[in-house]
Amino acid sequence: MSLPAAEWLELLRFPFMQRALLAGLLSGSLGGLLGSVAVLRQLSFFSDALGHSALLGISLGVLLGVEPTLVLIPFAALFALVVAQLVERSRLPSDALLNIVYSSSLAIAVVVLRLLSARAGSLEQLLFGDILAVSWGDLAQQALLLAAVLLYLLLTRRAQILVSLDPGLAVSQGVAVGSQRLLFVVVLAVVVALSIKAVGVLLISAFVVIPACSARLISSSFGVYVPLASAIGAGCGVTGLLASAAFNLPSGPCVVIVQLVSFLLALLIRSRRLQPG
Amino acid sequence: MLTTVPTPAGASGPFADSGSAPWPHTVLEVDGLTVGWGAAAAERPAVENVSFRLAAETDTALVGPNGAGKSTLVQAVLGILPRQAGTVRVLGAPLSPSGRLPAAVRAQVAYLPQQLTVDGRFPLTVAEAVGLGWEPSGLRLPWAGRRGRGAAVRVALERTGCTDLADRLISELSTGQWKRVLLAFCLVRPRQLLVLDEAQAGLDPQAADQFLRLLFDLRRSEGWAVLQISHDLEMVRRTCDRVLCLNRSLRCQGSPEIALSPAQLERLYGRGYVPYHHHHSRP
Repeated sequence: MSLPAAEWLELLRFPFMQRALLAGLLSGSLGGLLGSVAVLRQLSFFSDALGHSALLGISLGVLLGVEPTLVLIPFAALFALVVAQLVERSRLPSDALLNIVYSSSLAIAVVVLRLLSARAGSLEQLLFGDILAVSWGDLAQQALLLAAVLLYLLLTRRAQILVSLDPGLAVSQGVAVGSQRLLFVVVLAVVVALSIKAVGVLLISAFVVIPACSARLISSSFGVYVPLASAIGAGCGVTGLLASAAFNLPSGPCVVIVQLVSFLLALLIRSRRLQPG
Repeated sequence: MLTTVPTPAGASGPFADSGSAPWPHTVLEVDGLTVGWGAAAAERPAVENVSFRLAAETDTALVGPNGAGKSTLVQAVLGILPRQAGTVRVLGAPLSPSGRLPAAVRAQVAYLPQQLTVDGRFPLTVAEAVGLGWEPSGLRLPWAGRRGRGAAVRVALERTGCTDLADRLISELSTGQWKRVLLAFCLVRPRQLLVLDEAQAGLDPQAADQFLRLLFDLRRSEGWAVLQISHDLEMVRRTCDRVLCLNRSLRCQGSPEIALSPAQLERLYGRGYVPYHHHHSRP
């Protein structure tokens, strides 16, 4: 059942809802921005594995009796580096290896959290996120992260494109491919770790992948692609939250459904452009 | 045994430039290069003890059977693959063990990989791709030097006949168009060394001829030293000044007449080798 318009507008006056809308804008924009490169680099599945590993990081924090968010960032960065090395050296198909990593991370984390009886009640919150619970501090953190990621991508734009195109070509043009790859997965890991609270473990990869894929379908140049991915992410974040408030539905899944709609629209636009005449 | 038949720049082949200096400066020096990977690398490296020099404004072909280590050699020379032993100097600067060169030297090198497969729709226009070749390495904001880049890209696209492709996405190009765009990528800034890994792969005979003609013209006008891997021995005979014959180690090097003689080819490819003849029109 949807809320009457007056109640819905009233809801928007609450600070928690305003914070949630800002969080949707920032996390959506951040996901689209970083996702635009992650998708070209074929790291979609990697972001999924990072999301699942975040739960393992949280359970580690609970096990050690430390605030989970303090453990989460270094854990996610270290995890990303180890998995990136494993993918490069194991000679196994990366999708199979990442499947092992993410499913086992999730299983271990759920078992540890259940055994400790801590957070057990809020497991659903970790899996699907709770964007309505973000604080002004969380928002400031997200805004800083967005600015840092934007600057990083602007400054390394040439390297990001060349590495995505062909690592050999990139090396021949003076790009330190190994360092660039590792730095990117660490940045991706930090973004995933910091977005978990709002977006949740299971939905984080959608924030990274779907807006970027929608933008990739309809962009006419790289100069359009990256800002468009970020704008689609931000737009879907805000629209999804408004829809969730209107229909009294869980916020994270609502945002992902709006992202899916945007992707279908992009497919439609693409197929229209391809039609002769 | 290694056969060495030194030839001055442009001294042989139908494209010989009789006006060029007899011994121009050395662009690339490779000494005792050994490359390998995996557990068997120490016992049987992919490339062993290879030494050669490349002079400015010369076109050198690297030939040999499949699995001879040609791509491995050029990738080690460029710093893409690590080396086990030996030294590589580009324009006098040593290539570090981790494959690094001073930025000013690296900017003088261009590489055309054998196959550059763009997966799915890649949202990068031809003009944007060529512009990447103009930009120096290192941290740089996208709008820095925008005018200079735009002008250089326009000239490079014009000289390679790609002006009409400027706004097309690279993932929508044919193989022949892609190769020309990559040449524009090399041309967009002054270079001294151009390395090509089977540049004609995937091109039909007509497109291959057009590409070679363009490459030859550009090599002459730009003064590039070219090192190219090729299986087309007829093309090598017609267009290259020098040939390096590789089968894990360098078996012979010198002018095409000597290095591609039936006896040398039999040594390189094995007994019973029958030369295959392409019939291109002469550029």
